[in-house]
Amino acid sequence: MDVSPVDVLIFAPLAPLLGVLLFWFIQLLFIESYKYYLSKIKRKHLPLCRFTNFTGILFQTICHALGYTVTISGISHFHVNIHYGRVKPKKEKKGIFEWISNSFLFIGPFFIPASLLLLCLFFLLNNTSFHLSSGTYVSFASGLQTFGTNLYRFSEGFFSFLSSIDLAHPGHLGFLIFLLFLGMGIRPSHIGEDKRRKVDMMYDLQNIKSHIFQKPLYLLILFLLVYVLFYVSFLLNQNWYMVLFSVFGWLSIIAIVALFLAHMIVFLIKTTDEIPGRWKLLPYIILPTSYILMRLIFYFYPAEFDKTASLLIMIFSTVAVTFLLLYYKTNKFKTKTKMEQLKVEDGPRRTIKK
Amino acid sequence: MDQEEPLKNEQIERVLSPHPLSFMKLQFLCIFLIIWGILLLWLVNFSEYKGWFSDNGWVPIVVVWALVLLVFGVIASILTIRWSIFFLYLGIIAGGIGIMASFNWLETASLFIPVWSVCMSILGFLLVEWYRRSHKYIISNLRIVFSGGIITKRERTLRYDKISDINSEQGILGQIFGFGTIIPISQSGFGLGSDQSFAAGGAKIGEKKVGFFGLFGGGREVQTPRTRSYYELHGVHPYKEIKKLVESAVQESVITPYQQEQVAYQKEQVDVQKQMRDLLKKQMEPKDEQEEEEPKP
Repeated sequence: MDVSPVDVLIFAPLAPLLGVLLFWFIQLLFIESYKYYLSKIKRKHLPLCRFTNFTGILFQTICHALGYTVTISGISHFHVNIHYGRVKPKKEKKGIFEWISNSFLFIGPFFIPASLLLLCLFFLLNNTSFHLSSGTYVSFASGLQTFGTNLYRFSEGFFSFLSSIDLAHPGHLGFLIFLLFLGMGIRPSHIGEDKRRKVDMMYDLQNIKSHIFQKPLYLLILFLLVYVLFYVSFLLNQNWYMVLFSVFGWLSIIAIVALFLAHMIVFLIKTTDEIPGRWKLLPYIILPTSYILMRLIFYFYPAEFDKTASLLIMIFSTVAVTFLLLYYKTNKFKTKTKMEQLKVEDGPRRTIKK
Repeated sequence: MDQEEPLKNEQIERVLSPHPLSFMKLQFLCIFLIIWGILLLWLVNFSEYKGWFSDNGWVPIVVVWALVLLVFGVIASILTIRWSIFFLYLGIIAGGIGIMASFNWLETASLFIPVWSVCMSILGFLLVEWYRRSHKYIISNLRIVFSGGIITKRERTLRYDKISDINSEQGILGQIFGFGTIIPISQSGFGLGSDQSFAAGGAKIGEKKVGFFGLFGGGREVQTPRTRSYYELHGVHPYKEIKKLVESAVQESVITPYQQEQVAYQKEQVDVQKQMRDLLKKQMEPKDEQEEEEPKP
């Protein structure tokens, strides 16, 4: 393959880096959307919002403490509650040490909860999911290709695991609960309390930007180290450089999935809030009951895709029941006669107040 | 205190009971029991180890079940400094084995033990709920009345002027659901407990014949606000509002420095008046004597 030296020396190391940035940005968008949905149910479900607040702050504080541990500053004080978290180092270190511990604070919450889930997945997924392309790559294009292949292999294993997750298996059930728990806590730390200032995606990005540009020399050193790692991997024909960034890509994928599931939970809560009375509890009863029922049926009449089928029926029955309740118990779809009459009498945009 | 029997000039501000999640420490013991029961059901009947359990009869099932429960019981007892937890689990184990042995159900241990665990857990939840509901706190403008207890009903009445200190705490669950515990400490020290720690070490000198076992150690006691749940405002909701209500009631019953000055001034006035009265008396006395003496000559 004909590759220009400029590509190898300058552009090739950027390929997985940009890939990670892309996934991280998608993660940020999911976080932003999740925050929006949480704020919608905040009034009726303040304890839930406080809980997500607490988990978010807990992760952030742990990351900060981890930063102080890595920089050998020590921890003299660690405090977390639902409003804020505080970590104080034993020794106040300045310069690069302070920069590194702050990097853990700003960037850690996006990856560290997901890394705990990745640790669990090592025990639950088969080895092929973690198979990484061996050897190094030479160009920007081949770098992107290798990065994509690594992520695809992992995603394939991860999604097939999720689609056939056995909720009767304590390990699988524990993983799902952990996934939801962490998904709810990936950086939603402004929900539940009165907003003093706007803490959103732009706030996060501004923080990170100011942190990076506060010490441009450190950023340069970091870039140099990244390039050095690439050159060493390249010269020794090892996949070390790609492994590092592929793991970050995996973490982003896990975080996105966790956030997606958290979205589903919040969306279900938001939808059922519109159903009056005790009927709103029905979807929550249907959710586990339909799964247990299906598993019992498949226990006596075994089938090949019993777990996936049970999951699908659980999801569809819950959605169907929620839809039917919305249809019959509310006027969400604007199908009730009274409303139609009003529209006819009054026009589509106006209503008469009698 | 019955709500219908308030004192003279007494107005009831709030009637409270603990939040359903405020007894989570006790509920967690039941949650563990239910989780372990279900886990054992899976382990013995559906997991990859089911063959090992079915091959060796009921003994390994009972041993694994009992061991895990006892270890958890010991850890929970040490952490909460309450050995009743250990004995509670011991009772559940003994009860389960006793029933299996007396009804000859040992062969069905793989099903009976999980069912027994879940049943005991549900019973535990019901007992905790019953205990929670036995609590009642009445906050009036004059006093706080605490009452609780399932079999023995206990009651404590505390006037605001007797409260010397207020301790309050809110755990993470409390912060999330908005409940917390308020311990009013009376001037007599009611509401205070103590944490005791003791360090000890032993030494053995000699191998076989000559043995010496020495124990030495030191203890430390820390005074801490702690009392029974029926003697404190345990897990009350809404925490902040109740705390403010109690604190303001205590504050109203405390004499302010200005009031103290006024009292001292009034005392001074009374003393002056007393002195004046005495002086007047003294002045009046000789006149009387003279008047009495005059008619004599």
